[in-house]
Amino acid sequence: MNTKELAKLINGDILTPEIPLNREIKGGCGADLMSDVLASIKPEAVLLTGLCNIQVVRTAQMADVRAIVFVRGKMPQPETIELATREQIPLVTSPFGMFELCGRLYMAGLHSFETPLPNQDENVQSA
Amino acid sequence: MTLQEIITQLNLTVLTAPHPPARIKPTGGYASDLLSCVMAGAKPGNLWITIQSHINIVAIASLNDLAAIIITENSIPETAVLEKASQQGVTLLGSSENTYQMAGKLWELGIR
Amino acid sequence: MSNLHELYGRRGRIITDQDAQEISRVEELAYDLKICQVMTSQVKSVPPNISISNVLEILRLGRISGVPVIADGALRGILSIEDIVRAMEKNELGAPVSAYMSREVVSVNGYDPVVKALETFSEYRLGRLPVVDEHHQLVGIITKGDITRGILTALQKDYKEEELRRYRASHLFDDITSDRTSLILRYNIRARDYLNGGQASSYIKRALLRLGASPQLARQCGIAIYESEMNLIIHSDHGGTLRVQIEPHRILMQTTDDGPGIADLTKALTPGWSTATQDVRDMGFGAGMGLVNIRRCVDKMELDSAPGKGTRLLMEILLRPEDRFKEPADPEATL
Repeated sequence: MNTKELAKLINGDILTPEIPLNREIKGGCGADLMSDVLASIKPEAVLLTGLCNIQVVRTAQMADVRAIVFVRGKMPQPETIELATREQIPLVTSPFGMFELCGRLYMAGLHSFETPLPNQDENVQSA
Repeated sequence: MTLQEIITQLNLTVLTAPHPPARIKPTGGYASDLLSCVMAGAKPGNLWITIQSHINIVAIASLNDLAAIIITENSIPETAVLEKASQQGVTLLGSSENTYQMAGKLWELGIR
Repeated sequence: MSNLHELYGRRGRIITDQDAQEISRVEELAYDLKICQVMTSQVKSVPPNISISNVLEILRLGRISGVPVIADGALRGILSIEDIVRAMEKNELGAPVSAYMSREVVSVNGYDPVVKALETFSEYRLGRLPVVDEHHQLVGIITKGDITRGILTALQKDYKEEELRRYRASHLFDDITSDRTSLILRYNIRARDYLNGGQASSYIKRALLRLGASPQLARQCGIAIYESEMNLIIHSDHGGTLRVQIEPHRILMQTTDDGPGIADLTKALTPGWSTATQDVRDMGFGAGMGLVNIRRCVDKMELDSAPGKGTRLLMEILLRPEDRFKEPADPEATL
């Protein structure tokens, strides 16, 4: 699914209207600890998170995250939206909590894109 | 659905079980790694999913009367955490799966 | 955006990532490019009083399918092949253009974005549109073909610019002959500057990609350097420096600060152990996984610290043969 379809599935509002939303999202990851995201998320996933500071965008940029969903309708600061727009990472805010978001997306067929062991990106891409 | 059924179906490791899991019926799920969010958002009787294994999770679960904590990605807590959980009547469960998968599977079992 | 998909059609094929990226750039271009940038401006036009048979000749010679009708500089109508066919059916090819031209002319403004023309094409089911300026004077004509050509040219230009930048950077090691070439990037990091935290890491990741590093390598370095940049911001007394040394065979990264220093190095390297405050934890950091994470990303990590002295973290990534930056051939290697 792409970001537009994903946002629809979770009643999400797009916070970065200038970014195209048609890039494919290959999996999901839910986490609030940035080191956890950096350690385990595979490239091209959506990050579901309860944090909404600017570091989430930086983390996403380092970890090649395709889109960020803020849980429980959280709204980031304008500078976070600006950075995301510059770095071309779509931001979505959803009224659902993390548990429900994971549940809904999992049921919609978006599988987990976290790897228990680090540095396995190569295997992931050939899979 | 009882906690015992969930443990069996999702193959969870029981780290502490101060109350019999067959008598606990979780009221729903809550996922977050931010302790302040859990304090504010989790409801009594919820199952809390987190990767945190820090000692503070025990206090949060106890204060909020949570049904149990599911610690994801094999993030096994230290002995001191397990001891405190047993003392305070907090059920700790472990899984090798991550938060996303765990929430997805609980959702699939009908936990909302 | 259905117009675009119609033009740059999916044709029932599964869209690859590459396609998706290109499509999104095409969509962007449809908004960025102005109609006057892609239209044909040297337009043949006819006055309303000449005969239709004359126009037929103009269309045939110009290999076009319609022509605007102009009187006193203003656009009065359009005569297209369909109109001529109607005249032919009635055997009236000698009639004046004004008798058969379409008078209800839909036009677009030259300063509108290309997407406006696409929308108008689809709304009125037209194949060509006259383009006018703010005084309703005809300045050109636009067809779907013009748009395709305009977008393709712009895409090619984009591609060339980024390629050129990448090419220049990736030949850095190739072009310079020395016994040992290295590129050093240095950044000063301020303590507690959470707003700009990660900026240096983001510059480093981009530099590596420009130098020709694979996405995995850039990601691996980016993650390690970002964790160490955040450590400087969170823990150092007065900030510190971040230094990246890029060599053809390896990447060396180092952070240095002047305090407070780490009391127990073994504990600092234990997963989950952290001295971070609750504020930092609420920002998603300080979960005691940073150094553990860094160690997983690099081939060699050295942590040197003492309380009151400061901390130095050295990280080394050895490049796999396929990841190595290009170097000039060593003349002695053939001996």
